[in-house]
Amino acid sequence: MATLREIELRLKSVRNIEKITKSMKMIAATKLTKAQRAVNSAKAYGAANAEVFKNSEAALPEEGGKKLYVVISSDKGLCGGIHSSVSKATRAAVKEDKEKDANADVTIMVVGDKSKAQLSRVLPQNLALTFNGVGKDVPTFGDACAIADLILTSGVEFDSVHLVYNKVVSALAFESAIQSVFGEEALKNSPNFKTYEMEDDATKDLAEFALANAVYAVLVEGHAAEINSRRNAMDNASKNAGDMINSLTMKYNRGRQAAITNELVDIITGASGKCQYFLFLSI
Amino acid sequence: MSGAIWRQHFTFNKYSQIAARAVRQSLVEAERLKAEKRGDTGLKYQKWENGQGGNHIPFNQPKEDA
Repeated sequence: MATLREIELRLKSVRNIEKITKSMKMIAATKLTKAQRAVNSAKAYGAANAEVFKNSEAALPEEGGKKLYVVISSDKGLCGGIHSSVSKATRAAVKEDKEKDANADVTIMVVGDKSKAQLSRVLPQNLALTFNGVGKDVPTFGDACAIADLILTSGVEFDSVHLVYNKVVSALAFESAIQSVFGEEALKNSPNFKTYEMEDDATKDLAEFALANAVYAVLVEGHAAEINSRRNAMDNASKNAGDMINSLTMKYNRGRQAAITNELVDIITGASGKCQYFLFLSI
Repeated sequence: MSGAIWRQHFTFNKYSQIAARAVRQSLVEAERLKAEKRGDTGLKYQKWENGQGGNHIPFNQPKEDA
C-alpha cells in the first residue's frame, strides 16, 4: 500500500498526462478534416493512374522481375499501430517473394523514421534509400515529385514498384495495402500500348510521372490514416487516464480516511488511557 | 521532341518541378503565396549500403533568388 504522498504525486502526473492526451486528440481531430479533404482531391490522381494502367492492360512479370517496395509511414509516433502495421505488411510481402523465388531481387525504400527503425532491424540488407521530413503537414505534390525523382535517379534497378501504405477503412480503423505501379518496360510491352506508335521518351516520361502520381495519392492517404489513428489512440489514452484518475482518487480518499481514523483511534485510546489513570488515582 | 537536351540531365519529374516553380513565381502576389505552399518540401534522404545508413542529405529546391 503506497503512502499518501506517493498516491498524490501519481495523481498529479496522471492528471497532466490526461490533459496532454486530450489536447493531442483535439489537434488530431482538427487536422483530420484538412487531411480528409486532401485525400479526396488526391484520389483523383491515383485514379487517373489506375485508368491508364487498366486500359493498357499492362502485366507484371510473373516470375523474377526486380521488385521495389516503397514503405510509406512518417517520423512521428503516438499514433497507434500505423508504423508497425506497414512494416509487418512489407515483411510479409518480402517473405512471400522469397518463398516463390529464393533469389528474388527485392529492394526496400522507406519514407519515415519510425518504419525505417523497424525495418532496418529486420531487413537491413535490402534497404537502399530512406526519406524523412515528410508528414508534418499534408504532403504536397512537391514531396511526391521529389521522392519519385530520388527513386528514379538512385541507380536501383526495378521492374515494378510496390507502395506499401495505410488506407483509411473507417473512423476507427485502418489497414495496410499495397499499390503497384508499373515501370517503363511493363508499359512498353503492354498489348494496348503496342497498338500505338509511341516514342520511347514519352513512355519513359509517363512511367516517371505515374510514379510521382501514385506516390502522391499514397502519401496523402497514409497521412490521413495516421492522423485518424493518432486521434483514436489519444482518445483511448485519455479514457484510460481518466479511469486511472478515478481509481487513484478512490485509493487516495480511502487512504486519507484511514489515516484520519487511525489518528482518532490513537487519540481515543490515549484519552481512555488517561481516564483509566485518573480512575486509578482516585481509587 | 526527341532532341530535348534536358533528358540527358534529369528526369521528367524534375523537369515538371522546374516548370511548376517558374509558373508559381510568375503568379500575382496573393496567389503566389498560396501556390508556394504546394511546392514546398522538407524532404531529407539517406543512402543505405550493406545495412548502414549514410548521411542525411536535404533535397533542396534550388532557389535562384536567395
